[in-house]
Amino acid sequence: MFNLVSKIIVVLVLVITGHVAVAQDSYPRELITLITHSSPGGGSDIFLRQLARFLGPELGVDIVVKNIRGGSGARAVAELISSPADGSTFYAYTPTIVHTSLLSAPAYTYQDLEPLVNVFFDQAVVYTSSTSPFGTLNDVIETARIRRGRWGASTPASLERQALEQLKSVTGVVPAIVTHEGGGDLLLNVLNGTLDIGVGEAQEIRSQLEAGRIRLLAVFSENRMKGLPNVPTVKEFGYDLVLTKFRGLAGPPGTPPAITAALETAIQHLLDSSEYRAVYEEAMLTASYMPHEEFERFIGTFAAETESFLRNTGVIQ
Amino acid sequence: MDIVYQVVALLLYTPLIFVAMAGVGWGILGGALPGISPSIAMALLLPLTYGMDPGLAIVLLASTYVGAEYGGSIPAILINTPGTNAAAATVLDGYEMQKQGRGGEALGISLYSGVLGGLFGLTMLILLTKQLSEVALAFTPMAYFSLGVLGLSVIVSLSGESLLKGFAAALLGLMVATVGSDPISGVSRFTYDQPELLDGIAPILVMVGLFAVSELLRQASVPVWDKPMGEGARLKLPDGPMRRRLIKPQLLGSVIGTVEGVMPGAGGTIASFMSYNEARRWSKNKDEFGKGSPEGVAAPETANNTVAATALVPVLSFGIPGSNSAAILLGGLLVHGLLPGPRLFEENSGIVIGLYTGLFVATLSLLALGMLILPVCLWLVKRPKAYLMAFIYVLVFSGIYSIDQSLFDLGLVLGAGIVGFFMRLAGFPFLPAVLGVVLGYLVESNFRRSLVLSGGDHTIFLEDSISLGLLIVAGIFIIGSLSARMWAGWRSLRGGSASGSV
Repeated sequence: MFNLVSKIIVVLVLVITGHVAVAQDSYPRELITLITHSSPGGGSDIFLRQLARFLGPELGVDIVVKNIRGGSGARAVAELISSPADGSTFYAYTPTIVHTSLLSAPAYTYQDLEPLVNVFFDQAVVYTSSTSPFGTLNDVIETARIRRGRWGASTPASLERQALEQLKSVTGVVPAIVTHEGGGDLLLNVLNGTLDIGVGEAQEIRSQLEAGRIRLLAVFSENRMKGLPNVPTVKEFGYDLVLTKFRGLAGPPGTPPAITAALETAIQHLLDSSEYRAVYEEAMLTASYMPHEEFERFIGTFAAETESFLRNTGVIQ
Repeated sequence: MDIVYQVVALLLYTPLIFVAMAGVGWGILGGALPGISPSIAMALLLPLTYGMDPGLAIVLLASTYVGAEYGGSIPAILINTPGTNAAAATVLDGYEMQKQGRGGEALGISLYSGVLGGLFGLTMLILLTKQLSEVALAFTPMAYFSLGVLGLSVIVSLSGESLLKGFAAALLGLMVATVGSDPISGVSRFTYDQPELLDGIAPILVMVGLFAVSELLRQASVPVWDKPMGEGARLKLPDGPMRRRLIKPQLLGSVIGTVEGVMPGAGGTIASFMSYNEARRWSKNKDEFGKGSPEGVAAPETANNTVAATALVPVLSFGIPGSNSAAILLGGLLVHGLLPGPRLFEENSGIVIGLYTGLFVATLSLLALGMLILPVCLWLVKRPKAYLMAFIYVLVFSGIYSIDQSLFDLGLVLGAGIVGFFMRLAGFPFLPAVLGVVLGYLVESNFRRSLVLSGGDHTIFLEDSISLGLLIVAGIFIIGSLSARMWAGWRSLRGGSASGSV
């Protein structure tokens, strides 16, 4: 009975959104639940809902997104771990749960998750107010040699702060690195001239960029972004710093290799499709496909680097 | 002319009116349930809006916000429990009125003031979005710190008969606000390795515990239950003389609400407390405050409903959500591929016009729905106490549990309730504690952020002109309230007739 009701709801949702799935019998499950710790409307929530629109027809299954908030990701991960490892439940894997695992002692940590496939990197950009005198990243660094620089990052444990601390140490200047509650209050402090620069997600500052109130100085990626060909990478200034704010999918431990392989193929195919590409490039996400084994190695390196950053800055002992 | 046509078309040819009313109805319900904050009420609706027309989806969410900000005052007046953070100041005089059997009158005043505040805020939003966004932009971390200090200065006049007890309660609140990740360095403080505590303790949990649970515990310990409700428990909108009397507090509330609303992070709670305080300062009937003053209900309720409209300024002009509720609204826009910011007004002016029209309809339907719902609420609280108390217990705990399905949160609420019970016994006031919890993070994080900016030099707070101005105003408030207290104390010593300033 309950199963029937939930199916009816799923069908209704799909009909309303205009995306009726076409069954292809290629995947062992009929319904996939994607879990995120993000609130409805948050970054990971939007990532999953847009992915679901395309991944559903691709795999020939129905997909629902479930928000399990609280505990900075700990509760969502606990829910995933208690789900069967049969390809019916996945989790939107982002750096958040790595941070939560390092900062506190949740019942299940990132090490209990099985990284399956990475989909995107969020791009972190260095930006300044369009009324500021800074033309390039070098101007900012040179100014910081003369007077106390004011550099802003989002939350204290964020990758953006990590990037600024690294930039500070490789350039040898000693600016104030000011952390914030999130990208929003940081953006305000850059706009009103309190800060020289801010480092934030490209997505968060898009509207002010289009309105011409801020200028991009550099991007923390391996190569220049497709949507922003005129913005140089930090690497081009001679500092070997690349930020890898990943967005992928994880499953419960022991997910069968056949499921992982099906997911790998589907994601790879989706990232190449022009419809999905239009959606994610609009959101300024960079496709960064990593299959299971590569993703697992990546997470290992990522967690080790994050841990040493948190230790060096005194956040954890 | 084009705009008039668009508005008429929206009203006649789209279900906008029904959507706005549905949002308001759902919002009032969510706001009235202790524990369901405006943002939770909106978050529950958000997934439903994914398949809707973007314009209507935004109207639905924004109307829910309007309804919820109003709904918070219902339990504040009827059962001494603010349904939302911003309704905390309404408890002071609203519940006093209810105890005197004037609950219907208090509900009428809060509804009337809420609608006026909402209309005022909406007018400001439509006419002055650009100017107000400049105000939001002018606030540096230094200015936010001083704003928080100004908010905390209200404690002096909220402390009841003992200033010392008020300070102790405020300190307790400030201590609760330090739990969670350190705002500047990220070190975990007092979290005892619990991931649930990493983001700190939500003020709503503390408030529901302090007010509702402790009241229930107290009621349970009273052998013979008093029956405060009698005649005049009917919903009563303010009449002519009362409307004239309410003009001043409503004006104060709407101006303070407009300014506070546009600042990301400050929001409705500071606005409602400050306008309560100002309404008392400028009132002809100061002595009535705290003993069931209609003005004491009107001021905070005007303020928090004004905030519901002007809080949209930073979302629409910068894409920066100033509160959790605004963040959900932002999510609603983003899901539909709408990018808030200056270009939204140019490229998607239809959405903006729809939003404004929807907010207008929502504010008006607040009046209609309020008059439908309030008599039911009044009837409910007139039931025999035993049933009522059991009903409230279930309401409170299911409300809290439904937020995140978290037993941990239930434990926190119970803990806060036990603390509140003993605070009641010992005569400690709750509101300073609530202010401490709500403002502690704002004050601390911006204080330390400013010092990081200046390299440890405290004069940075005096160099920023807004910050300096706010600090001076806070100083005047504190000295003024303290001397009023001392004067009252001295007079009661001399004359023997007690007339406390609270």
